[in-house]
Amino acid sequence: MTLDEFVIQLMAGLSRAGLLFIVSAGLSLVFGALRVINLAHGSLYMLGAFVAASVVTKVGSAIGLLPAVVVAAVLVAVVGVAIEIGILRRLYRQEHLLQLLATYGVVLVIADVVRYIWGPTNRSVAAPEFLRGSIGLMGGSFPIYSLFIIAVALAAGAGLWLVVNRTSLGRDIRAAIVDPEMLAGVGVNVSRLFTIVFALGAALAGIAGAIVAPSTAVGLGMDIEIIIEAFAVTIIGGLGSITGALIGAALVGIADSFGILLAPRLAVAFIFLAMAIVLAIKPSGLFGLPERA
Amino acid sequence: MKALAAHGSRLVWIGLALVAALGPFFLREIELFTASRILILALWATSLNLLLGQTGLVSFAHAAYFGVGAYAVALVWEHLGWSPLMGIPLSVPLGALLAFVSGAFALRAVRLYFALLTLALSQLVYVIVFQWYSFTRGDNGIHGIDMPEFLNGTANAYWFVLAVMVVAMIALRVIAVSPFGAALVAIRENRQRAAFLGINVKRYELAAFTIAGTFAALAGALFAVFNREAYPNLLFWTENSVPIFIILIGGMFRFWGPLIGAVVYVLLEETVAGQTEYSHFILGAILLVIVLVIPGGIEGVGEKVVARFRKQPAEVEVAA
Repeated sequence: MTLDEFVIQLMAGLSRAGLLFIVSAGLSLVFGALRVINLAHGSLYMLGAFVAASVVTKVGSAIGLLPAVVVAAVLVAVVGVAIEIGILRRLYRQEHLLQLLATYGVVLVIADVVRYIWGPTNRSVAAPEFLRGSIGLMGGSFPIYSLFIIAVALAAGAGLWLVVNRTSLGRDIRAAIVDPEMLAGVGVNVSRLFTIVFALGAALAGIAGAIVAPSTAVGLGMDIEIIIEAFAVTIIGGLGSITGALIGAALVGIADSFGILLAPRLAVAFIFLAMAIVLAIKPSGLFGLPERA
Repeated sequence: MKALAAHGSRLVWIGLALVAALGPFFLREIELFTASRILILALWATSLNLLLGQTGLVSFAHAAYFGVGAYAVALVWEHLGWSPLMGIPLSVPLGALLAFVSGAFALRAVRLYFALLTLALSQLVYVIVFQWYSFTRGDNGIHGIDMPEFLNGTANAYWFVLAVMVVAMIALRVIAVSPFGAALVAIRENRQRAAFLGINVKRYELAAFTIAGTFAALAGALFAVFNREAYPNLLFWTENSVPIFIILIGGMFRFWGPLIGAVVYVLLEETVAGQTEYSHFILGAILLVIVLVIPGGIEGVGEKVVARFRKQPAEVEVAA
């Protein structure tokens, strides 16, 4: 492998990492505050992709992506609120396995709802003109759209950092991650906060789905595919930590990209192996929160 | 009084087994397929319930062990030219070994992290089966396994499945009510307290995980014998929804819950879900309703009703 090829492959890995980061950050945020592993997070991502596909078809590809991202984020956040209020809120005091199983029920329901609304055939979404094609990079060429995904991921990461570290909402979220009961004790409406956090996580999934739509076939099965990789990311990085999601996404994205080059059939196995090794050494992941007793 | 009740319920189960054994005389052939499916799924779900209901461990690896058992049958026939039935005794140590190794790994974590680790490990097994064309025929799966002559005819295959299943269920029952089983309940109720009582929690959990995986592999082997096929989707992690549903429908805190759940689930599958292409929606909705409204499952509701009639609290079997 020449240096040029290496850089191109690295960039492709970073682009994948960007997408994985947006998805995993949402998953991780929800876990941090609510201590619920949302198996349906991938379903929300798939929903975002299909919503984006419909919006772009409706308004045309010239400006279609921007409204698509906004509509996907808002709609998916609304679905998230419905899930949190309708289902999860009733289960916080129950055993964690019931919460896990409930989100699993949501996975099944959303998969069929999407199939009912959009049908079983894959959709392709056109990117806006200025994001199509490739640019020269180190003597090779690299798709502009992949750079765009990296840029969005950086923006999402920065935005998330600002919200969590520089706003009063973020202060409440950080407090909820440490001790929600104490937070309720000082007068914060924790129940409403959980709804907001879940909506935020869902919106991130929706944005990721909308962003990925022009670079892949939008189809059923996206939910399972992404959730497994997002789990790998959050397990390696540690649940509940945004920094962990960032590092985990970078590792998995780059491993993915080079793995496919070296041994296409075993790329997935590499990721799971990496995951098993990290957990064997540090069961709560690199930056993870230990489980609340 | 209590002993008498236990004796009576044992008679009920012996009677039910006898009725099941007479099945081929009053069921049509297609109904024997349904009945066999119930038996196999009941065994699979009961083995998972040793983890879920009794020990309080959520595992997403149980489909992998089921699939490995099915492949044990298919692969001894495909590669060694042996009788596929040799796959049944092979599936038991294979399932045990795989469950022991993956369990030892996954049990380094607890609760949610444990559940996610089992998911990752089971996907690893799935990827191997799916990709290893020269050995497993990859995504084509292996179909049309030749069974020995005495299994020809649906009735004979059904009797075979029933016989193995009954023996396995008795074994699982003996384990569930043994002091070992009681220790598992103690772990589910309070890990810390169990540890203070001198129970080596991790070791007990690993033992439960291994036993459950072993019986899951046996159930998978029965599946391959009856259906004469094995394919990679059996191992995919979403397949875990089947035994989880069955346990939730039947009730996870009773040993016989999954058996009742299997009957309800298969009948549901063949009536309601079979009529629509949106079976996942229906199953997902049912799962949500159960989790939100009756986490005790059908048997739990049944016992409450019975208890109300008897004007005494329901006797709880495995649950504390």
